[in-house]
Amino acid sequence: MLEKNTELHAKFWEIFNKQDRHKVDEFQTYMDKFAVNFNLYKDGNFIEQSLPFDVVPRIISTEEFAKIDKGLQQRVKALNLFLEDLYTDAKIVKDGIIPETFVKEASGYLKEFVGFSPSQKIRAHINGIDLVKDSADDEWVILEDNLRVPSGSSYPLSIRDTYRKIYPDFFENLKINPIKDYPSMILESMEHVSTGGINVVLTPGRFNSAYYEHSYLAEKSGAQLVRPHELKVVDKKVYFKNYNGKLIRVGSIYRRTDDEFIDPKFFNPDSLIGVPGLVEAYLAGNVALMNAIGNGVADDKGIYYFVPKMIEYYLGEKPILKNAPTYLPYFEEDRKYIFDNMEKLVIKDVAEAGGYGVLFGHEMTALQIEDLKTIVKANPRRFIAQELIEFYDEKCYLNKELQNRKADFRAYVVAAEDIKVWQCGLTRYALEEGNYLVNSSQGGGFKDTWIMEL
Amino acid sequence: MDQLVTANVATNLYWLGRNLERAKQMLYKISKAYDLIIDVDRDAGVKLFQTFDIKLEYSDSVDFLQQAIMGEHSSNILEIMTNARESAIICRHRIDSEAFGEMIELHALFDTLTKTDIEIDYKLIDKAHSLISEIYGALAKREHTNNSDLFIRMGKLVEEADFRLRFNKDETITMTVIDEIDAIVKTLSDEDEESTKQTQSQSSDETDLITAINTKINQVIVE
Repeated sequence: MLEKNTELHAKFWEIFNKQDRHKVDEFQTYMDKFAVNFNLYKDGNFIEQSLPFDVVPRIISTEEFAKIDKGLQQRVKALNLFLEDLYTDAKIVKDGIIPETFVKEASGYLKEFVGFSPSQKIRAHINGIDLVKDSADDEWVILEDNLRVPSGSSYPLSIRDTYRKIYPDFFENLKINPIKDYPSMILESMEHVSTGGINVVLTPGRFNSAYYEHSYLAEKSGAQLVRPHELKVVDKKVYFKNYNGKLIRVGSIYRRTDDEFIDPKFFNPDSLIGVPGLVEAYLAGNVALMNAIGNGVADDKGIYYFVPKMIEYYLGEKPILKNAPTYLPYFEEDRKYIFDNMEKLVIKDVAEAGGYGVLFGHEMTALQIEDLKTIVKANPRRFIAQELIEFYDEKCYLNKELQNRKADFRAYVVAAEDIKVWQCGLTRYALEEGNYLVNSSQGGGFKDTWIMEL
Repeated sequence: MDQLVTANVATNLYWLGRNLERAKQMLYKISKAYDLIIDVDRDAGVKLFQTFDIKLEYSDSVDFLQQAIMGEHSSNILEIMTNARESAIICRHRIDSEAFGEMIELHALFDTLTKTDIEIDYKLIDKAHSLISEIYGALAKREHTNNSDLFIRMGKLVEEADFRLRFNKDETITMTVIDEIDAIVKTLSDEDEESTKQTQSQSSDETDLITAINTKINQVIVE
């Protein structure tokens, strides 16, 4: 179902219909020329490719976005408090809000970090929160919190520049919020938590799927882009190895590497993309890591269920943005509901990401459902079930005609002294009509997102 | 404070400069040889590639272009472009975005030849020359404003010096190029370092010059 047309949409189409449609091809030319890529490995081969882009932006009114903004600030504030509490006093567990075993069984929970408090007590610095707009009640619903290494912000940033050049009419005639401040938001966060020294963006390297983004954000934020072996740890301090052999102290690292690979001395000894000794320096308080190690516990799909409770517990407020109705087979009552209604629910494996491990009950046979029940019964902590949300389609101009595709919205929330929500985001649309999976790794494309008013 | 550039990025900036200049010089030489092969000297291409210790075979002027640009040898232009593109991607955050875009386009110009039946002709060489000029133009916007540009310029000059020495070009100008390399090396190194001695005073004859330059560059970029 398409989102209702507003005056803003009408204004957009009025301008769009006056534009030269042939110019749409210029977006692809731009992305090819500037290698705006999201790389993939397919059958063992490294493939450089751009993300599919659709010219029709998602439009959100400034008024509507104000509520999203407020709700996301509230959520990320609570999630930061949760992480800090969990790894220090764990009051939320002691008070019985979240079962202890539930936390400890989360794959992202790292007991080795209990008792450690990072710089400025901020743990979730750069966050990607996935939302959809429910067609049932026109409300935005949170689907997922990504508090580890969320990617994607560079794509709308890059395309917005091009959009302004190709179709300036929109920007001359509509009040579209500017978005260029995202790199400075990241810089502000890096500076805020820095322990003294330069800022770096740590990339696994040129063959990482998001290398373009690492490079882009380093350039725009003024941080140095480094590969793991270009950092050196001496006496629990991290240094940048300059071309002339000099060592320069590092105060803040925006790392684009998962926890388990970040330090072969502490985690996976076979990791070739880690910095030996980094964790020791981090635990000594000599360098800030963005995001903090151990955040995986908070974007565990099972812990997601408890976020509204966290908001009430830490902030004493009602959640401004709601979760999708979620059930945990871990709880007997929920499990019964799930088993009775599996054919209409969405079952998610908490350990998977990128659209993998998502099963739609309505697409499964009776036999498959019975098999799944057996698997869920054997390991209830591994799964969650959610009501299927009929989220809105967005109009897309694909193959020179308008088509409808389901689309979500990843908002970027950055924590420094204050928590700020970027006035844009990554709108991702599904590859095929009717498909609910919008992830880039599932072949989905992206749109620009315009927060605007008349 | 020191300019901050990792050794990997510095090396790739340097090689970007070298490969771009190598492509420019090679295309110029190929263009001249092509003109001679048509009706003056059928072996002009053979002689050109002998300078690089490559034995090139071709049936006529058009085939010469094909072999010179896409043939299986170390001065293959596509390979030079592929290396330049790779360097540009690695250090894209340190180069002008327009220059980067032109670099990708330049590589695509040659890469397309492997996927289509387009015949290589003089227009391709002209187009490539134009793109290289545009890249140099874009880079010149920021030239000498930071170390990134100096590494590219150093690579460009080293390649230029190499070509000048190989083809016995006017010595005075060659020495001017080498003086400029010395000046960049001095800027990128600590001024009191031994490596910043004048290259010309260190070398007894011209054939040693490139070795002397390369030694200095290895001292500038510490892996």
